[in-house]
Amino acid sequence: MSQVLRQHAETQFAHELEELQKADTRQRPTHWALSPWAVTDYLLGIRLDNGFEVTPKYIGGRRLMEIAVATLATDRALLLYGVPGTAKSWVSEHLAAAVSGDSTLLIQGTAGSSEEQLRYGWNYAMLLAKGPSREALTPSPLMRAMELGKTARVEELTRIPSEVQDTLITILSEKTLPIPELNSEVQATRGFNVIATANNRDKGVNELSSALKRRFNTVILPLPASEDEEIAIVQKRVAELGRALELPAEPPALKEVRRVVQIFRELRSGLTSDGKTKLKSPTSTLSTAEAISVINSGMALAGHFGDGELKAGDFASGLLGAVVKDPVQDAMVWREYLETVVKERDGWRDLYRACRELD
Amino acid sequence: MQTATEHIHLFGIRHHGPGCARSLVGALEALQPDCVLIEGPPEADTLVALAGAEDMEPPVALLLYAPDEPQRAAFYPFAEFSPEWQAMRYALQTGVPVRFMDLPQTHALALEKEYEAAEPVSVETAEETATPDKSDHDPALRHDPIGWLGQAAGYGGGEEWWEHTVEQRQDSAELFTAIAEAMAAVRAEIPSLTDSFRARREALREAFMRKTIRAARKEGRERIAVVCGAWHVPALATMPGVGADNELLKGLPKLKVEATWIPWTYDRLAAASGYGAGVESPAWYEHLWRRGGRVDPAAWFARVARLLREADIDCSSAHLIECVRLAETLAAVRDRPGPGLTDLLEAAGTVLTTGEDAPLRLIRRELIIGRRLGTVAAGTPTVPLQRDLERRCKTLRLTLSPTREPLELDLRKENDLARSQFLYRVRLLRIPWGEVTQARSGKGTFRETWALQWQPEFALAVIEAAPYGNTVAEAAAALARRTAVEAHDLPALTELVSQLLLADLPAALADVMQELENRAALTGDIPQLMAAIPPLAQVSRYGDVRQTDAAQVLQVVDSLIVRVCIGLGVACRALDDEAAAGMAERISRLHTAIKLVDQPEHRDDWLTALRQIADADSVHHQVQGRAARLLFDERHGDAGDTADRMSRALSRAVAPEAAAAWLDGFLSDGGMILAHDDALFRLLDQWVIGLSPDHFIQALPLVRRTFSTFPWPARRQIGERVQRDADREPALRTADAMDDHWNLARAEALIPTLSLILGIGAETQ
Repeated sequence: MSQVLRQHAETQFAHELEELQKADTRQRPTHWALSPWAVTDYLLGIRLDNGFEVTPKYIGGRRLMEIAVATLATDRALLLYGVPGTAKSWVSEHLAAAVSGDSTLLIQGTAGSSEEQLRYGWNYAMLLAKGPSREALTPSPLMRAMELGKTARVEELTRIPSEVQDTLITILSEKTLPIPELNSEVQATRGFNVIATANNRDKGVNELSSALKRRFNTVILPLPASEDEEIAIVQKRVAELGRALELPAEPPALKEVRRVVQIFRELRSGLTSDGKTKLKSPTSTLSTAEAISVINSGMALAGHFGDGELKAGDFASGLLGAVVKDPVQDAMVWREYLETVVKERDGWRDLYRACRELD
Repeated sequence: MQTATEHIHLFGIRHHGPGCARSLVGALEALQPDCVLIEGPPEADTLVALAGAEDMEPPVALLLYAPDEPQRAAFYPFAEFSPEWQAMRYALQTGVPVRFMDLPQTHALALEKEYEAAEPVSVETAEETATPDKSDHDPALRHDPIGWLGQAAGYGGGEEWWEHTVEQRQDSAELFTAIAEAMAAVRAEIPSLTDSFRARREALREAFMRKTIRAARKEGRERIAVVCGAWHVPALATMPGVGADNELLKGLPKLKVEATWIPWTYDRLAAASGYGAGVESPAWYEHLWRRGGRVDPAAWFARVARLLREADIDCSSAHLIECVRLAETLAAVRDRPGPGLTDLLEAAGTVLTTGEDAPLRLIRRELIIGRRLGTVAAGTPTVPLQRDLERRCKTLRLTLSPTREPLELDLRKENDLARSQFLYRVRLLRIPWGEVTQARSGKGTFRETWALQWQPEFALAVIEAAPYGNTVAEAAAALARRTAVEAHDLPALTELVSQLLLADLPAALADVMQELENRAALTGDIPQLMAAIPPLAQVSRYGDVRQTDAAQVLQVVDSLIVRVCIGLGVACRALDDEAAAGMAERISRLHTAIKLVDQPEHRDDWLTALRQIADADSVHHQVQGRAARLLFDERHGDAGDTADRMSRALSRAVAPEAAAAWLDGFLSDGGMILAHDDALFRLLDQWVIGLSPDHFIQALPLVRRTFSTFPWPARRQIGERVQRDADREPALRTADAMDDHWNLARAEALIPTLSLILGIGAETQ
């Protein structure tokens, strides 16, 4: 058993990658570890002819993954876009692992990211000792990926300041990284590509310049498609987390999980689940991850201060906190939802009362 | 394919499939038939010649209708790329006789009528909701088995599958044999229809097709081309005995039926507009047809680029190159020989948009569905809508006169009410024939004055409205639904609601109300919501001369009121003077409306909302004043509340203009009420009396400003009222108004003398 807290995708699923590689007879682009078809199968899971089971990494539309893989195959950079909690980074890691066999060439985008982190820095001791030379140069993961013909990953692209983002333009269009200090350059080897992730809630913070936008193909990762799928995800994660946190409460009843997921989905989509009434949507993201945390905190409340069983009163405050992020607009949306939907619904009287008590 | 008789050639096609149409044209040219039979209504045989006319431009539809019950109708739409249309054109160009061979609508409609009589539907809704498509009630599979085969094979749709698997062979004769075989297999697998009505109709249709084929054979035709939906091919390939078919077709009910051509549109052809037997992508199919069936990604993306640029969305040539590359790679990843529509759309979405929906919606609307509107040739028989219009005019004794003529209606009379409703329905058809010159003001009036003038070009408008329905009521209802979906704001919808009420179209009203409710849920525009409530409340409470059903209106009013009560506080913030005046006015009107609806729950919610704005700091003072006044009128909360609010709003720390605005809002309904409402008068009076001299001097101009807006008689009455009170309680009054500098005892000592001098002693004693 490995002592590492979390293994890289290519280590954790090494066996699957190996089996796929063995079974993969189709044409591979240069420097790709697998053919595009095998990459898609790795992500979505498949039963190989020899009976080996490849587990699904992404649960969702096959077409989306096909677009992502086809994008990488056209040597266009890929931008995975979506609300927080839609498995963007997860997909990016597994894509890199399957395409290049290496998901570690990673740049984490932050507000403090500098050009050196994208291009190269200098080993100053060496620089002083030997003067400007290739040995004194410390390459960024991006530069290394260019040299090796591998996939580089940029996380949270839109958190990076715009002027730093634009460093990517030359790399993506000319596939070269100039090193003016040495009067030289690094030319990307075949197989090099970039997968970036961005959060559409950060829209407008460091909006991509249109020059850069043009160099990316955008694949939008959606929220879970069906209510049942989302309920299953929430229940599974809640149970896992509950065990990890050693909460004294019982695992929540399906009824309460269903209610929370239903509320999240209705507010998110702006439509009641029977499809009859339209609703305003709050500014909050209402991702699946937040639904999980609402239930978790409700369970903590029920366990420590209640009777150990998750009830409406236990998660009402968490719900309010998840929905109302803007004190004016969202509060209005929430009130409207309470009065027009929750109040009227059979068997939801307890929830209505619990929420009204918070006002 | 050749059947046992060797003279009958069956072409199983996909309705509206451009690939099919192309294969069919090739096959017909190869076969050189001497007779063409097409799945369609035999009543329209005489109209086929018009399909060859120069000025006939698809999309058009054959309309079969019962002239005595025009809402009973069937539509057979054709686009340029429909195989049936191409077969017709081929036959007309080569001079080969062409005939329709489906079960005649005279029977089909009569059967349907019998069926409906057995299972009655409400007549009223049936009149308005008659769906255009009665020609094919069969489940989707029966209608488009090839599309389903395509989907089963993992393609985005039947057309791509056709293109990739069938078309590549380039051998059309073999191809139709293959289709027949595939259909035989499909029909063997699919369970027969459980619905006895549909099962019987399918049997009848196929029996009649066989009958027509036999008849053609009897005429001595040698090469008969039979063009029908792929589904029917196996049933026509094996000919059972003549006797069985004749037995089946014996004694069918009949209904008088007439036929004509009407213009059709792509969006009605598209499945998206609810036309059951439609196609998803008419404009895309047209593109395919015009380009000989080859998908040319570059050409298509060039059209996308032009469209986006016209809409001011950036789209460079570099984008297009990437689109084409991605579409082709996608097709390769999916193991297809070339990109299909789904691949193209996904490539466009991925390369051109960064998560925005709008460009894709635009592409869908313009390039996938399209907006083409067909035209029918001159000499086409009158459309049933026109007939219905004329007939109604006759029964209602209205004339289509080209000179402007006034019409006086008394809505208490049954005939006049019917005329008014009819005129409103015609207006809903976007035919401005009648115009209300004098609206009924208020609910007490029963008079309505119209000016009628029929312009010749209205005939065109009638033809344009024809696809929406065959009676004025049906078409008006359908167009109103459409208008509702396209409406931009709530006032437009409430206007439509009142139009529908006047036109008496309850079923359409229900749909528009639903739309109104949906929009209300989404809009953040509280003023719009507020403006929408009063007219609806009026209807819901009193109904009108026309006895409209109020319940459905009331339900929407309920939800609107709840929404307004929640949003009012936010909507009243940050208003300038003009907006505040409008808001105060709206609040007053809404207040009246809510009282009219008279539901204690709403009243409580509303008064709570009013109290919030009356006491909030950030609300414009005029609005606050109005809210305070309405609360006062309703005697809501403590009696002292309003007095407190008044003294707060008019206290010295408040800027004079703000205080004036508050007073304006508080007393905006004129001075008469002040003169007559005792409590209100006392409230204001107490405030004035309670002012210190300095503050009184400061407040005086404000009060004067508001009072100066009152009409003169009102001011006089207020003055008299003050005088009367002063007379009644002189001691209280003087004591209150007295200043410290006065020595009461010394002043009183003077009174007897003064009384004597002025001669008023007797009255005061």
